[in-house]
Amino acid sequence: MTATLMERRIRWSGLLIVVGLLFQMLTLPLTHPLAFVGFLFLGCPLVAAGMLFFLYSLISNDKE
Amino acid sequence: MNTTPLILISFTAIAAALGLLTALRPELTRVRGGKILAFMSLCVLPALGMWAGVNEHLERSTSTQFCLSCHVMADFGKSLYVDDKSYVPAVHFQNHFVPVDHACFTCHTDYTLFGDYKAKWRGVHHVLVQYLGKIPKPEDIKLYTAYNNRECLHCHAGMRKYEEASSHHKNPEMLAQAATNQLSCISSGCHDTVHDVTTIKDATFWTPKASGK
Repeated sequence: MTATLMERRIRWSGLLIVVGLLFQMLTLPLTHPLAFVGFLFLGCPLVAAGMLFFLYSLISNDKE
Repeated sequence: MNTTPLILISFTAIAAALGLLTALRPELTRVRGGKILAFMSLCVLPALGMWAGVNEHLERSTSTQFCLSCHVMADFGKSLYVDDKSYVPAVHFQNHFVPVDHACFTCHTDYTLFGDYKAKWRGVHHVLVQYLGKIPKPEDIKLYTAYNNRECLHCHAGMRKYEEASSHHKNPEMLAQAATNQLSCISSGCHDTVHDVTTIKDATFWTPKASGK
C-alpha cells in the first residue's frame, strides 16, 4: 500500500522531531555553554520545525 | 544527586521512541488511536520536552560551574577565593552573601523584567567568541556598560548594615545618590577592588574547609 501525501508529511515531521529530540537528549547531561547553545539553536529548531510541519499537514488542503 | 536531568532524559527518550514509531509507521494514523498517537508524539510530548529542557538548561546556565567552564574565566573564578576583604566578589562568595552555586549570575544579571534573558543572550555571544572569534586575555575582559548600582541594591537596599554604615554618611546625599546611580558603588573609590585579575598571581587564597561547600 503506498503512503498518502499526509502520511509522507507525518513521516518527515516525525524524523525531524526524532533527530531534534535525540540532539536535545545528548545535551541534557552536560553543564556547559556549548550544550546550552546546541540545545537552543539546534535541538529546539529541529523539534519546532517538525511540530510545525505536522500541524501544517493537518490543516493543509493539498491533494496528491 | 540531582534527578531532574535523568527524568528529562527518560521523558525525551520516550517522546523520541513514540515519534520514531509514528515516523516509521505513518499508516497507523488511518485509525483514531493512531491519530491520537501522532498528535501526542509529534506535538504534545515534544513541546513539553522542549519547554522542560529549556527551563533546565536556563537554570543550569546560572550556575557558577557553568560560568567558569570556559578557560578564560579561570582567573575570575580564582578571584572568588582571594584572602583579602577588599575584594568585593571574594567577600560575597566566601561569606555566602550570594548563593555559592550561583555566585556569578547573582551579581551579573540585570534585575529587570527581561534581565535574565538579556544576560543569557550576552552569554550566547560569549560562546560565539570562544569558538569562532578571538578570545581576549582575562585582563582585557570588561563589562558592556558601567556596573549598575541596581544590582547591588537588589540585596543591600533596606539593609540596616548598609543604611547605617558611617562610610555611607560621609555626605548626607550619599545613599540617595547611590540609589539613583549618580554615585557608583564600585567605581567611585569606595568598593573598587572587584575581580582585579591583573594582580591575581600575587594574591593569597582562602581554602574552604572540607565541611563547607
